[in-house]
Amino acid sequence: MPTSPAKPGGPLLTADGTPLKTSLERSLKLSKLRALGLIFPPLLFLLILFVIPIGSLLTRSIDDSLSNKVLPKTLAAFERWDKTSEPDESMFEAVYLDMKAADKLDLSKLGTRMNYEKSGWRSLIKITTRGLKRIDGPPYKPAMLHLNKRWGDIEFWQSLGAMKDPVTLGYYLKAVDLKYDGNKDIMKVNKHNRIYRMLWWRTFLVSMIVTIGCLILAYPVAHLLATLPLRLSNLLMICVLMPFWTSLLVRIVSWMVMLQQNGVVNDSLVSLGVLDDGNRLPMMYNFTGTVIVMTQILLPFMILPIYSVMKTIPPSYMKAAQNLGATPARAFIRVYMPQTIPGIGAGCLLVFIVAIGYYITPELVGGKDGRLIGNLIAHHMQNSLNWGLASAMGTILLVAILTLYWVYDKLVGVDNMKMG
Amino acid sequence: MRNYLITTLVSTVVAVGMIGAARAEINVVTWGGAYAVSQQKAYGDTWKGEKINWINYNGGLGEIRTQVESGAVTWDVVDVLPAQARTGCDEGLFEPLDRSMFVPAPDGTPMDEDTMNKVPNNCVAPNIFWSYLAFYEEGTFKGEQPSTIADFFDVEKFPGKRGIHAWPNALIEMALLADGVPIDRIYEVMRTGTGIDRAFAKLDQIKDHAVFWSAGSKPIELVKSGETSMALAYNGRVGAAILNEGEKLVPIWDGQVLEEEWWVVVKGSPNAEAAKKFLVHASAPQQQATQAKWINYGPMRKSALTLIEANEPWHNSGVNIMPYMPNREEVLARSIFADPAWWADYGGEISERYTSWMSQ
Repeated sequence: MPTSPAKPGGPLLTADGTPLKTSLERSLKLSKLRALGLIFPPLLFLLILFVIPIGSLLTRSIDDSLSNKVLPKTLAAFERWDKTSEPDESMFEAVYLDMKAADKLDLSKLGTRMNYEKSGWRSLIKITTRGLKRIDGPPYKPAMLHLNKRWGDIEFWQSLGAMKDPVTLGYYLKAVDLKYDGNKDIMKVNKHNRIYRMLWWRTFLVSMIVTIGCLILAYPVAHLLATLPLRLSNLLMICVLMPFWTSLLVRIVSWMVMLQQNGVVNDSLVSLGVLDDGNRLPMMYNFTGTVIVMTQILLPFMILPIYSVMKTIPPSYMKAAQNLGATPARAFIRVYMPQTIPGIGAGCLLVFIVAIGYYITPELVGGKDGRLIGNLIAHHMQNSLNWGLASAMGTILLVAILTLYWVYDKLVGVDNMKMG
Repeated sequence: MRNYLITTLVSTVVAVGMIGAARAEINVVTWGGAYAVSQQKAYGDTWKGEKINWINYNGGLGEIRTQVESGAVTWDVVDVLPAQARTGCDEGLFEPLDRSMFVPAPDGTPMDEDTMNKVPNNCVAPNIFWSYLAFYEEGTFKGEQPSTIADFFDVEKFPGKRGIHAWPNALIEMALLADGVPIDRIYEVMRTGTGIDRAFAKLDQIKDHAVFWSAGSKPIELVKSGETSMALAYNGRVGAAILNEGEKLVPIWDGQVLEEEWWVVVKGSPNAEAAKKFLVHASAPQQQATQAKWINYGPMRKSALTLIEANEPWHNSGVNIMPYMPNREEVLARSIFADPAWWADYGGEISERYTSWMSQ
């Protein structure tokens, strides 16, 4: 395209006389728009599948507005109360008026919510909702006590303290075995019901052991893969990938066959005389089972990144080091290993992050003491329907992973990481 | 570029349209295995209306709540456990069902009076009773054979491990019964704090011998492989092993815990009318009885049991099914009807305590 001659000192013009700058901007804008159009579907996908759910996860984990919506008078009366004396008529009146005015559906949802703070609220709300129409006027206290004597139990009243604010950290507290008392002071939950801290710790421990186990097993395999002649290494690669492609359930069930009390491993050990028939090793439906099966399942996630990094290390480096007088072991440790760190980092991070949220395997082989936090999240989503608590635990998990990523970035540097 | 955008747009619109369009089919969501097969034969094959898609799920209300809250309801009929039947109705997740549409018993008794348990609300239609049942394999014990739930908890008299499930339902009741609490006072004792301590103290006696299961097929494997000498299982699994596989398993009916199973229609179901008609069909005495031809879960309706009794041998293999029914008259005196109201109140707390107990 011929360009018009530029006037000396004036702006450059295109053939149709518009300044070159404007024309360029216009065409750039168009291509930007086009690019945006191209990434629009994945952007929409990200928005729908990640941003919105994570946003709702965060809101659900702190939202406690239902009690304020349904029981405004009751909570106001609760504030005036000294939290220790017997509740008086005005408090009963507030409850009666609130419940009378409330939507029936809201009331039963609230009953479920209140039951998290004190077991028994659910049926108390239900019985009271049904009996409200039999109460024909003040005094309300004796009438409600007549409906159910639990209204006289001060512990029910005190538990209102944990629900009085529309935004709560209660679910997060619960996720670490703490709770609010009537004055909204933080206290430990009853010792029989402390499970979450133990589960967090166990989840961390299992993920740690699995990551280290995978690293120990994967490193030699990856090295072999990277150094064998192509024909052999391809064969080995298929052996690595085969289990990766096999259904998760098939792999888990095969491990059950291998490791259970009367499984292949125990049977062989007994027939070899290593074990006494009465002392078979418990390797399934417990902590050990979870660790063994998860290690095998996550192994490819470790092998592949390490392999891909090893593949790029020229064999001449090792030869050079040995020429310069290093023993093979020294050359390996000082020259080869440091170069594989990006792969190790990627593999460890990948395995640890996948392991920490693992759910199906521990559910099937975890049994007595091999279940992880993911199983409890699923339980609260599916069965107890305590989505607030499930969201809080999910958020903690998310933050833990982001923190880990950040620490990794500070220590090793994410730019250094190679996935392949 | 433009073509690409248009194609994307058009296919999105078409896809959304397809989801939104009313289906002339009913999606019935239930549990898997032999149980689902028995339902397909008894309710599906005898149904003349819309096509039925049978879908499996693993229980819980999570999925239903998601569908109702997002307004994209794809499930029409769901087979639910007693706790979910109550919570779901309370939370407005199910359609109320007009009680007058259901088929009365042959003698004219309305359906809600024909059920063995009180109908908890007007969202549910009767389905079956199932139970948590102790059992062992013939030949496991020499001499005296275990016959009561107390024997199940007695590892000295009957050595070997015990297969128990990884959640507390039914175990609390069984532990108290084994500990000598009269059967009609169990929930009264459970409402006291010390009652629960007592149940856990009893559970402590088998803790070191316990193998925990969570998949329904597991307890049969545990007992058959000899890993445990006794186990608790869903009664239908024990029955299927005996009736269909010819296994020599012995049920201990004493102290079994009976649980309800209900049908519901999901709120906002696009085929609510067809779904309701299907439930009228499935809950009729004839269909209820037919199901027992295929699996030994007990129909909830008394008239269905009468029908089976009068027509034995009822099971498809040509044997009498009544001796395997969890809700037959002879075993009721020593059976516990699980109280969903108690579990709705205390289930959460007890689950936590059980999880903590299990892993210590």
